[in-house]
Amino acid sequence: MYIIIGDTGVGKSCLLLQFTDKRFQPVHDLTIGVEFGARMVNIDGKQIKLQIWDTAGQESFRSITRSYYRGAAGALLVYDITRRETFNHLTSWLEDARQHSSSNMVIMLIGNKSDLESRRDVKREEGEAFAREHGLIFMETSAKTACNVEEAFINTAKEIYRKIQQGLFDVHNEANGIKIGPQQCISTSVGPSASQRSSSEIGSNSGCC
Amino acid sequence: MLTRVKSAVANFMGGIMAGSSGSEHSGGGCGGSDLPLRFPYGRPEFLGLSQDEVECSADHIARPILILKETRRLPWATGYAEVINAGKSTYNEDQASCEVLTVKKKAGAITSTPNRNSTKRRSSLPNGEGLQLKENSESEGVSCHYWSLFDGHAGSGAAVVASRLLQHHVTEQLQDIVEILKNSAVLPPTCLGEEPENTPANSRTLTRAASLRGGVGAPGSPSTPPTRFFTEKKIPHECLVIGALESAFKEMDLQIERERSSYNISGGCTALIVVCLLGKLYVANAGDSSSEEEVTNPKAIIIRNGEIIPMSSEFTPETERQRLQYLAFMQPHLLGNEFTHLEFPRRVQRKELGKKMLYRDFNMTGWAYKTIEDDDLKFPLIYGEGKKARVMATIGVTRGLGDHDLKVHDSNIYIKPFLSSAPEVRVYDLSKYEHGADDVLILATDGLWDVLSNEEVAEAISQFLPNCDPDDPHRYTLAAQDLVMRARGVLKDRGWRISNDRLGSGDDISVYVIPLIHGNKLS
Repeated sequence: MYIIIGDTGVGKSCLLLQFTDKRFQPVHDLTIGVEFGARMVNIDGKQIKLQIWDTAGQESFRSITRSYYRGAAGALLVYDITRRETFNHLTSWLEDARQHSSSNMVIMLIGNKSDLESRRDVKREEGEAFAREHGLIFMETSAKTACNVEEAFINTAKEIYRKIQQGLFDVHNEANGIKIGPQQCISTSVGPSASQRSSSEIGSNSGCC
Repeated sequence: MLTRVKSAVANFMGGIMAGSSGSEHSGGGCGGSDLPLRFPYGRPEFLGLSQDEVECSADHIARPILILKETRRLPWATGYAEVINAGKSTYNEDQASCEVLTVKKKAGAITSTPNRNSTKRRSSLPNGEGLQLKENSESEGVSCHYWSLFDGHAGSGAAVVASRLLQHHVTEQLQDIVEILKNSAVLPPTCLGEEPENTPANSRTLTRAASLRGGVGAPGSPSTPPTRFFTEKKIPHECLVIGALESAFKEMDLQIERERSSYNISGGCTALIVVCLLGKLYVANAGDSSSEEEVTNPKAIIIRNGEIIPMSSEFTPETERQRLQYLAFMQPHLLGNEFTHLEFPRRVQRKELGKKMLYRDFNMTGWAYKTIEDDDLKFPLIYGEGKKARVMATIGVTRGLGDHDLKVHDSNIYIKPFLSSAPEVRVYDLSKYEHGADDVLILATDGLWDVLSNEEVAEAISQFLPNCDPDDPHRYTLAAQDLVMRARGVLKDRGWRISNDRLGSGDDISVYVIPLIHGNKLS
């Protein structure tokens, strides 16, 4: 299970919609509770069902959002590259996530709205540096053009799958956000603690942004 | 709630609750699992969740609080939030439904031809047959707001069925009396088909009793029909609505009983509904899930200007003792020779045979002494005190729907005859008070009331709502979410915790926050 977190208005719900429904909705109601999405992906020939929880970004819902980290295997921490304050708040989100999740939770940092290059307020290098410093995977995405959205979700899932195979996750403990489905398919996924490797690897295939 | 369920929760929560007995109900309620489900399991229709979303939401570890989606609205801007249990059952056994029913006079003859002008929003009636109505253009329908909450036990079947069908039974019952209800100036006729007392001029037909009390019009004027010289009860309109709701519950229960043979309708449920009709709120409650000390009923309270007005009362085996004892006295075979209908202050021991012990029978509220006989050694029909009391050592619920297959553990004794589907109905006249935006009716299953008192709920609401934009369409849903969050708490090392490090509720929690300001317009 993934959880999507970040300030209000950075495009969390739009990322989810793009990933699950392959569409973009320019006007989106403010998320005031938690919303869900799910999609099957194929990793190394295995069908894996990703369950994604989309949370409310507003400060007033922070205590509710916090309670959902538990049981999440991976988190997408999203900021808006056109609004610096959303980048500045990352530290506080990260603290929350680290404090309330299981220690294994993988966090992927996402700079969203990469289609709005002209209004860019946060350099890609800044995002990369933040990710490196805190051990996160990093990508820039556009929920509008769908650029890198697939990759963001799937690469994390791949990483999780790799870690499962390495035995770093106890797949029998559902509190880790992983469930073995019938016929041995893995119905939820986790991301590992990020690696430099991932971030550079992703950097190389993000040319469209 | 059943013992088994509660003890599972108790175990999960660290064995805090002192289980009064190790008794388990026989479950047995699956009615043959080969049969198809009457309705598939799901969450309330108004939440509009996809299969995937239902699956995601059934997470016993993170326990997401589900709320009405931003794009959806309930009548009266009603707020709703729910959360699944902490693992006592795979599914969330609470169910809910909310809609506006249109009640139209039944046009006498029932037509079997499909009618696209059906009065129902959803056209399928209980059995989807024989209940289509003829269009009656002269008769304007009366709209009736309907909210319901069900708390299932020993399976989700009965709760799901009741959440889909009880509203149709309510509509059907109200159809028969809607024309009478609309004519609020005149009391309901005692006997249909007789000359109605429909105009003030006709008020001379008041009964003898009424005229003796100084009623208008003295007998004797030429047009007066023969006066009856006996008293006649005056039945106010609201009593007809109460009767209709009581009948609707009974019909629902009978339908579940009938359909058990063709469908798998598991378990039973308590039912709490609110109907707003012609300016009055009717709160009908058939349920008490009273098994452990801190467990209370699904319950409704009004919070008006900070004041708490309880809208449902609690039935427990103890409060229902006399009804249950009387039934067992009249029909001793229901006890299967294993129980006694008499009550003793404690279990009677064999060595006490022949001695005199305090007891009470169905006709007593006080106590007396009787000589102990063999029969008195049997297990008491009602055993345990207060909210721990249970019927036939099995169930703490005395009212509700379903449970037709529930038997005493390891026996062939059915519990159902001792359960009643009859709701207690309370009436609240919306027109008697000008309600503000923060005056609400809270309707919740025992997941909320187990851990929060009326006062705490009222305080939470009084803190929350005034801080919301009065025009925010989501404010009542946010308030419901806040209440669920307060009752669920957060997962810490020692389980779910709420304020002051108290135990949070590990049960399913469902909450409506119904703003009463919309009732102002009705009056």
